[in-house]
Amino acid sequence: MAKEVFYSGCAAAAYGAKDARVEVISSYPIRPYTGIMMELSKLVANGELDAEFVHGEGEHAQVSIAYGASAAGARAYTGSSGVGVAYAMECYSPAAGGRLPCQMAIADRALDPPGDFGSEHTDVMGARDQGWIMGWAESPQEVYDNTIMYYRIGEDHRVQLPQFCCQDGYFVSHIPGRMKLEDQKAVDEFLPPYNPPHPLDPNRPVNHGPQIFPDQGSAINVQRAVAFDEIESVIEEVVKDYNKQFGRKYSPFVDEYMMDDAEIAFFLQGAHARTARFAVNHLRKQGVKVGVARLRFMRPFPTKAIQESLSKVKAVGTVETSTSYGGQSRGGNIIHETRSALYPLDKRPIVTSFMAGLGGEIVTLNEFYAMAKVLSDAVKTGKANDSYWMNFEKEVLDTHK
Amino acid sequence: MAKEVKTQNLEMAKSLRQVTQDEWYVPGHRTCQGCGPALVYKLVSKATGPNSIFLGPTGCMYVANTSYLCAPFAYPWMHTQITNGGAVASGIEAAYQVLIRKGKYKGELPNIVVMAGDGGAIDIGLQAMSAMMYRGHDALFIMYDNESYANTGIQTSPATPYGANTTFTPPGKAVPEGKVLFPKDAPQLVIGAHPAVHYVATASVAYPVDLINKVRKALNYKGPAFLHLHAPCPKGWLFDAAKTVEIAKLAIQTGMWVNYEWEKGEYTYQHTPKEYKPVKEYMKHQYRFNHLTDAHLAKMQAFIDAKLKAPGKPIAVPVQGPREQA
Repeated sequence: MAKEVFYSGCAAAAYGAKDARVEVISSYPIRPYTGIMMELSKLVANGELDAEFVHGEGEHAQVSIAYGASAAGARAYTGSSGVGVAYAMECYSPAAGGRLPCQMAIADRALDPPGDFGSEHTDVMGARDQGWIMGWAESPQEVYDNTIMYYRIGEDHRVQLPQFCCQDGYFVSHIPGRMKLEDQKAVDEFLPPYNPPHPLDPNRPVNHGPQIFPDQGSAINVQRAVAFDEIESVIEEVVKDYNKQFGRKYSPFVDEYMMDDAEIAFFLQGAHARTARFAVNHLRKQGVKVGVARLRFMRPFPTKAIQESLSKVKAVGTVETSTSYGGQSRGGNIIHETRSALYPLDKRPIVTSFMAGLGGEIVTLNEFYAMAKVLSDAVKTGKANDSYWMNFEKEVLDTHK
Repeated sequence: MAKEVKTQNLEMAKSLRQVTQDEWYVPGHRTCQGCGPALVYKLVSKATGPNSIFLGPTGCMYVANTSYLCAPFAYPWMHTQITNGGAVASGIEAAYQVLIRKGKYKGELPNIVVMAGDGGAIDIGLQAMSAMMYRGHDALFIMYDNESYANTGIQTSPATPYGANTTFTPPGKAVPEGKVLFPKDAPQLVIGAHPAVHYVATASVAYPVDLINKVRKALNYKGPAFLHLHAPCPKGWLFDAAKTVEIAKLAIQTGMWVNYEWEKGEYTYQHTPKEYKPVKEYMKHQYRFNHLTDAHLAKMQAFIDAKLKAPGKPIAVPVQGPREQA
């Protein structure tokens, strides 16, 4: 039977993994994702989940253990945060290139220096080009749901790719929310057992990952690219099935709020979207036509869905929560691909970016109001900067602080 | 971690005649003439048989072996990063434990064998190797030791002997001996700190039956085991490619290499010569030592003499380190 619970994002991820019947789990402690492994270790110790719980000696090993298990034919689960995500960097491409669909839970965290526990998307955004599926949840419920959906997407034989199943550190990972755990039988119906086409099995010997010559490289790269071509339709299929089976209302790629008649929009991923919606409610009362478009997948970057959503407005502000020092916008990451996605359109909005929520700072309602002012001015003047560092530039000072 | 999922008892061979003529490391690779590590691979494969999964961390035995579409492995094989052989093996072993427990895999636990070079075992791969040993995964970690990062063009590793000329330790006016450090003692790294390990051994391509039997003994133990295998490298050590086995034998005759087993705390020694030849007899055949003076050779001899007092154990009186005054 489905069950109503009041869980943090960490517990939600752990129960998502449990209901996905993961078989090999590799752990290593780092805040804030650690809570996921603490919960899972209890489930294994109590006998509620039949899995091998392997204490990795670091994040590099965690990912190695997970993709090794995946190669041998077991559903594998791991996770990390912050510098831990960075430490495992070598292992991401072998997992994706080996087409080994293990899952890594991310409760994001700022990178050093200085040591900072706070949420920031920079850690795993640094791995966005390694060939993994990647997206953020905004609530414990969505964490649980994504955990299950990602396995089905990643293990689909048209895809076969590992997944970063991300949630904002603390904002989601440590704040409990009301949510529903689904019935195990129903989850089993939705998510079939992992069935890799070429496991490491002495009865059917195969070689994984032999050395190639440079002129053989592009053919292998193109296969990985083709997987990402296929993936959008698989995601649509899976999200539709999940919505139907469990009564959810996820749109596959872009979650819209008051976008139909909006003139300006906040475009962002993760939990700050919830604050953004509160800000929109307030701004709408004052007559500002503003909406929120929340990105559910960073990889694949859903160009078509973004074009459809953002072409409705005149100005878009990407709320970055990650850094790309020295990049084109001198700010974050999302703006670059967003602008690039909108570029082919005849009528495209002004796109600017807001550097907010860095180091785990809360993006306040006042900050969203200040962003809305910049966007409204941009509609009037037809101009905006590439980026605004919230509270450090005069256009975006939070005067209420 | 080790559970009763392995009942195999691989037989010990008395002579090469009793060893199968079947090959699971088949022609098709591009290793150098006289390659010691390739000979190791051939012998280890004969020892394990086909119910095996081999893992190849980056190194010579990855790069020279596995040209795409003509890899020489007749069993399942997977590349790992040079860093993570022990970790990927752990994941595969954990997967098989759970799949067998759940009835999803019907056979016996396969032999899971990591074939790491010296760098992949005790340098950049040390952390993952040690963790696999510590957690007690039922897998065999083999360090085929060609005493350098050979694949990248013979650079020094922690297994490279004192005095060797490598492309990162060229002898010169300021550093006349080339490599100034003495090597890490690989088996001791395992023996000294891993309660789950019951079997560690060294072997050499000079004694193939002994090598095969040690692989089988290691696999018959439940839980992790470690083998340190001497694999001379004509290209890296600069000797005649026809003399790989001869060089390996000289290493044993001079005490530069000692074959031994460590089994649940007990040491036994194999192929110990009645009288050790001077190390010079081994070194003079290799151009990598050609630049050394008598003083350097004496330093090497002192190191080996100290080691031979109790091979496989910590040296009672450490030899002089590179930053100490003579």
